[in-house]
Amino acid sequence: MNHLGKAPLIFGLLFLLAFPVIVFRGDDRSNTLEFWVFHQIHYDEYSARIPAFEAANPGVRIELRLISKSHDKLLAAFLSGVGAPDLAEVEISSVGRFFKGSKEEIGFVDVTDRIEVDGFRDEFVQARLAPWSLDGRVYGLPHDVHPVVLLYRHDAYEEARIEPESIVTWDDFVRETRPLARDGDGDGRPDRYPLLLSAHKPGHFWLLLLQNGGGMFDEHGGVIIDNEIAVSTLEFYCRLLNEERLAIPEFSQDPASFAAMKEGVVLGVLAPDWYIGAVRRFVPELAGKWRAMPLPAWREGERRTSTWGGTMIAVTNQAENPDLAWEFVKYAYMDDEALANRYRKTYIIPPIRSAWSNPVFSEPDPYLGGQFLGKNLTELAPDIPGFYLNPYWAEANDLLRQAVYEAANGIRTPTEALSNLAEQVRALMKDTPAMTEGGALRLPSPQIETSETE
Amino acid sequence: MKPRYAPYFFLAPFFLLFGVFMVYPLFDSIRLSTYSVRGMRHQTFVGFENIERLLADPLFWTALWNTAYFALGSLLLQLPVALGLALLLSNARLKGRNLFRLSFFSPVLISGVFIAVIFYLLYDRRYGLVNKVLGFEIPWLQDPDLVMPALVLAGVWRWAGFNMVYFLAGLQSIRRELYEAAAVDGAGTWQTFIHVTIPALRPVIAFVVITSMIGSFQLFDLPYVLTEGGPGNASMTMVMYLYKHGFEFINLGYAATIGWALAVIIGVISIIQVRFFGVFREN
Repeated sequence: MNHLGKAPLIFGLLFLLAFPVIVFRGDDRSNTLEFWVFHQIHYDEYSARIPAFEAANPGVRIELRLISKSHDKLLAAFLSGVGAPDLAEVEISSVGRFFKGSKEEIGFVDVTDRIEVDGFRDEFVQARLAPWSLDGRVYGLPHDVHPVVLLYRHDAYEEARIEPESIVTWDDFVRETRPLARDGDGDGRPDRYPLLLSAHKPGHFWLLLLQNGGGMFDEHGGVIIDNEIAVSTLEFYCRLLNEERLAIPEFSQDPASFAAMKEGVVLGVLAPDWYIGAVRRFVPELAGKWRAMPLPAWREGERRTSTWGGTMIAVTNQAENPDLAWEFVKYAYMDDEALANRYRKTYIIPPIRSAWSNPVFSEPDPYLGGQFLGKNLTELAPDIPGFYLNPYWAEANDLLRQAVYEAANGIRTPTEALSNLAEQVRALMKDTPAMTEGGALRLPSPQIETSETE
Repeated sequence: MKPRYAPYFFLAPFFLLFGVFMVYPLFDSIRLSTYSVRGMRHQTFVGFENIERLLADPLFWTALWNTAYFALGSLLLQLPVALGLALLLSNARLKGRNLFRLSFFSPVLISGVFIAVIFYLLYDRRYGLVNKVLGFEIPWLQDPDLVMPALVLAGVWRWAGFNMVYFLAGLQSIRRELYEAAAVDGAGTWQTFIHVTIPALRPVIAFVVITSMIGSFQLFDLPYVLTEGGPGNASMTMVMYLYKHGFEFINLGYAATIGWALAVIIGVISIIQVRFFGVFREN
């Protein structure tokens, strides 16, 4: 060690000191909750609410983190067995991938018994518990209901003498709104469109399919995306886009779609509650010109709404103090004042019916010409359709995108596109039956009923 | 401690970290590629089944074609642009050279996601700046035949300035005597460019071509945000395809197979390029 002096000794000592600090973090984290969220709006909402929770629970600290690609990181933490937060929010389109494999491999805490013990299971819109439930067990609480309405340009309807009340079914919608889609400048396409439906992404089709009573999987795990309901829904979807040309095909929810609204090219959108907030934010100049009406029904007397999107909160099984985490879940997701505050900021309807009696849900909305949006949405909320979680959800959803694109762009007929999709999903289920318990394919059991009836 | 062991002692942290975070995952991914992984920890040994499945998967070939298209498109378009910019900006008489250099280089400082968002707006069919300038409503991102050219152009904007810097450095290192000799021999501008500049830039061109090809084959963020692989699967790239199977479908075994297929393809292409340019040839 002569010519090196004391360097190796110093390095050795530093290593010995640093190693235990890094590997064995001595701090007691049982009173600290790490909470991952993926959306800025949620982050802002909880940031404002957390100090009150910490004040009411001395010594408790909530580390709220806005994480980009949080679902990927959460998945990696579950796969490796370390690094997951105590609490996490998960978006509905990503939730399927967390429910692959056996029940023991699910990274979230089963909260079914906690919900029963606390006695608030019936307070939820039951269809909103289904997306986070498997084999009758619940793994998360819903953040929202996301009922869908038809947002339409009141001034354009008045100008064309269209009575919104006369639109009860989708056939009525086609008949009544045809005059809006005229080609005034002779460029071969309508100058204005009564509706916006994406020809490239499946979101709009999916919500219409759910409204019509369809879905991807049935309660026994069987593939139903090629049944009569799905085919007829996609045929109608393509008809609106291509034959009737009542729907503009080139947008989904991109910034350009808001420009098209401003220009008066788009006169109607299928709008869940959160999207109404986005329209309000990005198209403030149309205040007073929009109105909301229930979705036209597929058949008279049937469901007038659907659902689009959603988020759950879950306690992960790496949480050091699940009881404390559960207390925070109840505070963030079930406190009436918090839910009212959420509506004020985001226009998102909470999935807890008792919260709807808060006066905030009965206030007139100037952006919609004084309509009682909260009241209308909460009246529709109990009737939203549900759907069944399935281990093959992620793969099927990806294939759905391709099928809608092919049908909407005339590459295949709706029947061919959906048959092809269904065949691929069935083949996948047959070829990769590794999701087994004791050799048998594990299927989700019938869950909570798909929609509520009051 | 004996002095001859001292280097190993100081190098140990690097090798330890390299071993744990690079070598081990690399070898484990080979093992993983022989398994069908469903769920968090459910693994079944399947031997070469993943490779058989990959070769029979039409989407794999679509993704490979799209990636190769982007790589070749980038090579054929981006490198001449980068070299052209470097030649222009190496002209001492050009005013504001440094400002131009910084401007052309700056796109590489911006995150790929942000660039994708900007190009999403630029390429919009009705309201995008590109179509406003051209005076047509070209469906850049909706037409399966146009989406890859649109991605190549976005890639050129992002990387041409970066590669320009390499060419600038290369141009500055060419000995003046060579140009003077060419001038004495009566060579014109074009002849000087072909017979002096290009041969002298050969090592730089080799470096830029090889690194650009490797980077192009790893393309992910731009199409992931800009097109999500669509319309249909018209802009699905190899890494997107890998990501989809690894992180959306949680089929890590198949994803590892895709990863190794990509590594082999990049390796083969790089070896061909190294031999073509004679990178390790003496003199």
